[in-house]
Amino acid sequence: MTTYPAGAGEPQRLLADNRRLARQVRTAQRATWFPLLVLAAVTFAAVPVYGLGGFVRTCRAQPAGGLICSVYSSAALIYWPIALVLAYALIAGFYVRRNRARGIGTRVVPYAVVGIVLAVAAGGALTWFVTHPPAGNVALLGLHLAPGQGAWLFQLASPASAIGLALLVLAAVERSWGLLLLAVGYVVLAFVPLADLGWVIARPSPWASLPRLVIGGTVLLVAGLLFAARQRPWRRAAE
Amino acid sequence: MTGHPANGLDDVVHQRVRLGILTIAHEARQVEFGYLRESLELTAGNLSQHLSVLEKAGLVAIEKGYAGRRARTWISLTSAGTSALREEIDQLKLLIRQVDGTAR
Repeated sequence: MTTYPAGAGEPQRLLADNRRLARQVRTAQRATWFPLLVLAAVTFAAVPVYGLGGFVRTCRAQPAGGLICSVYSSAALIYWPIALVLAYALIAGFYVRRNRARGIGTRVVPYAVVGIVLAVAAGGALTWFVTHPPAGNVALLGLHLAPGQGAWLFQLASPASAIGLALLVLAAVERSWGLLLLAVGYVVLAFVPLADLGWVIARPSPWASLPRLVIGGTVLLVAGLLFAARQRPWRRAAE
Repeated sequence: MTGHPANGLDDVVHQRVRLGILTIAHEARQVEFGYLRESLELTAGNLSQHLSVLEKAGLVAIEKGYAGRRARTWISLTSAGTSALREEIDQLKLLIRQVDGTAR
């Protein structure tokens, strides 16, 4: 038979201890700065891929006559899935190694799995979109595509969306409101037209994707540095 | 197990250190002996005794291994341990509500 004091003091103390210990573990497990800095590096590394990788034009004859063409960076289509899969493998490896050294497990696996699935799915969807150009003319991430029913899906399949959506999972895994705000903002940013960002390079320049890549990469870099300053990765776990 | 919520408390779990072990193992998924000892500010012998109680009750699984030449002991919650932790937390909350209600 359990004994307990007449007041609620003991249960309250136990619950308070429980919350404190849980918070301590979560704090020790967090390394939000690392994926953000890796993804920033991947985003910045895409700049020369778009700029120097060359562009391919795919045209389709329309039933009403004429041709509809899409112009896209074939190097970028290959770069993003490979770079993101490697990035998520690196991130998962880092978390597992770091947390094992600290004597705790990690919850990062769902983030890495979702990230890889989204990277591959987005790469496949983008490839399909640019090789099946619909009518019209919309530009995004160095690609030309038509407006219409598929346009928002096209934006959803952009690498920036894939990164932002996976960050939502990381925010849930790390139970971080700050990261949740960043992830939502990053996904929204992926849908904002370049003109609204105030920095547009006229097409058909191969550097047309530069503004979006630099803006996206800078957001990730700054956020990564802010999280690093807050999480102080050089500090020991039990402090 | 009816009536007062204190009757629903499990003696194995309703103990500050053992509840701490279960909480940390639940949050961390897997926790090393050294991390538990530091976090709970226990001696190795004291922690071993509590772990032994929890292991006998089937609430934790203990796995011994090596990191290089260094022996390491990893502790994880069993499904019974997860349920026991959840029930303990629920009972504690219920107890607090009931005591607070009586005090008013």
